[in-house]
Amino acid sequence: MVAALERLSEASGREFPNLLAARERTQLGLDRRRQSLAGLEVDADVAIVLMGSWGRAEVTSESDDDFMVLVRGADRPAVRPSVEEVSKVLDKSPGTQGTFGQLVASTPLIERIGLEEDLNSNHTRRMLLLLESVPAAGEAVHEAVRSAVIDRYLDASIKDYRPPRFLLNDLIRYWRTMCVDFAGKEHEGPEKWGIRNAKLRTSRKILFAGGLLPVFECAKHQREAMPEALKAQMRLPPTDRIAQVFIDHAAADSGGRALGAYDDFVGLLDDSAFRMELSEVTRATAGISEAFQEAARLGKELERGLLALLFETNDLSKLAREYVVF
Amino acid sequence: MVDSRGDWPAQVDEAWEVSPFAVELSALAEDELDGLSGYLAAGPRLPFRYLSVHGPSKKRAMSEAELVEKLVGLAPLVDAIVMHPDTITDPVPYRRLGRKLLVENMDSRKLDGRTVDELRSWFGELPEAGFCFDLAHAWSIDEGMSVGWDLLDAFRGRLRHLHVSSLSDELHHIPLTEEHEELFAPLLERCRDVPWILEAPLRDL
Repeated sequence: MVAALERLSEASGREFPNLLAARERTQLGLDRRRQSLAGLEVDADVAIVLMGSWGRAEVTSESDDDFMVLVRGADRPAVRPSVEEVSKVLDKSPGTQGTFGQLVASTPLIERIGLEEDLNSNHTRRMLLLLESVPAAGEAVHEAVRSAVIDRYLDASIKDYRPPRFLLNDLIRYWRTMCVDFAGKEHEGPEKWGIRNAKLRTSRKILFAGGLLPVFECAKHQREAMPEALKAQMRLPPTDRIAQVFIDHAAADSGGRALGAYDDFVGLLDDSAFRMELSEVTRATAGISEAFQEAARLGKELERGLLALLFETNDLSKLAREYVVF
Repeated sequence: MVDSRGDWPAQVDEAWEVSPFAVELSALAEDELDGLSGYLAAGPRLPFRYLSVHGPSKKRAMSEAELVEKLVGLAPLVDAIVMHPDTITDPVPYRRLGRKLLVENMDSRKLDGRTVDELRSWFGELPEAGFCFDLAHAWSIDEGMSVGWDLLDAFRGRLRHLHVSSLSDELHHIPLTEEHEELFAPLLERCRDVPWILEAPLRDL
């Protein structure tokens, strides 16, 4: 079956060479990592999950191997493989101090949603698992846990032909958390301001829209059909989910321009000089950085396309008005 | 707007009354460029999310190199610089403007830049340039708008903003008429994500 991104290319006349090349690079890299990880003992209830650009199928030459060792169920001792074993196998391991490179049990991911213990780290890992993750080992466990997360959100509260609010609110909360996190980190220091800002305008927005739009599309269904429809969407890269919605809402031209801008950004991100300049930009130097100006311009084009889709098309504008603010 | 030529704060105020979203400041004569550069370089606190400049299209006297140098100086201050292809002699120096440069389709009085075939050669020379689609210019060539549809089909991927108005018998921009609003609507429908620049005041309703 032809991917939605390629169908949008056909419908809009806009090619997406960088996104399609990144998909190929992702698949090749994933195959290689799966082969490397095959030498490790993996328990039957464990998955090794790659996230970030791996989950978006947008790997560049600079991408890190952001991973988690996911255990289905409660935390337990002696999980195989250990985080350290996985780190040794992967090329660009993220370290074990942050969101990635951790052992993550599915029970707290699922059962703490919205509760006091649902810390930023728990919320972030759940959202990344849902929106941009791919298994490098333990495919069935990854699928089962992601499915369980969706089932938890799509509980008894969902209604026919309405977006599932529980999930929608947690998605919006995640987007706002990323924005607030960016601002908070700026108070800690100017390091990486430029690249963080550029990603917030582009890949983070793709991540959010890649969840928001399928949640809105649930309004096409009776509630019994929503979980499977959503699970099918989450198996696709976010750019396919977004491309499909542009096509379905007769907005192919806008979709071509929006994802075309994103395609340009992904291409630039693979250029080490561009990436280096972005990494060094601060708020004080943003106005004189050509790399930052271009990233900002592309971010605006992407945003205008998404806003036109959400607020200028017939069905989605009604949903956006009713559900996005309150 | 003719009455406020060269008076940048007045152009800004006039545009702001219509919308704080997008504005195009026009330096249609070369001698207006320095004033516009000075105005923008002073960092005016503007409300607009999208700021475009229309480059010189009349009374060209300066060398191409000198003009491009001035436009390159303006580029970091704006989102786009619109140029009429019939005012460009050598496109190569304009490549320095990269994606900030927009090429506009021309009206029936001009000898170049009017149709898909004519514009395609310009975009061949300026591969990074975007497209500024002037609906009224397309209408002046073909009142049924098939030229407009062809332009949009061919260059929709490059489209960055629109010029929206009607034209007088002398092909001057005038407020969009009801008849043209209806005629242009299906094309406008495909362009909801890009800024629309009104090239004449709104008509009285």
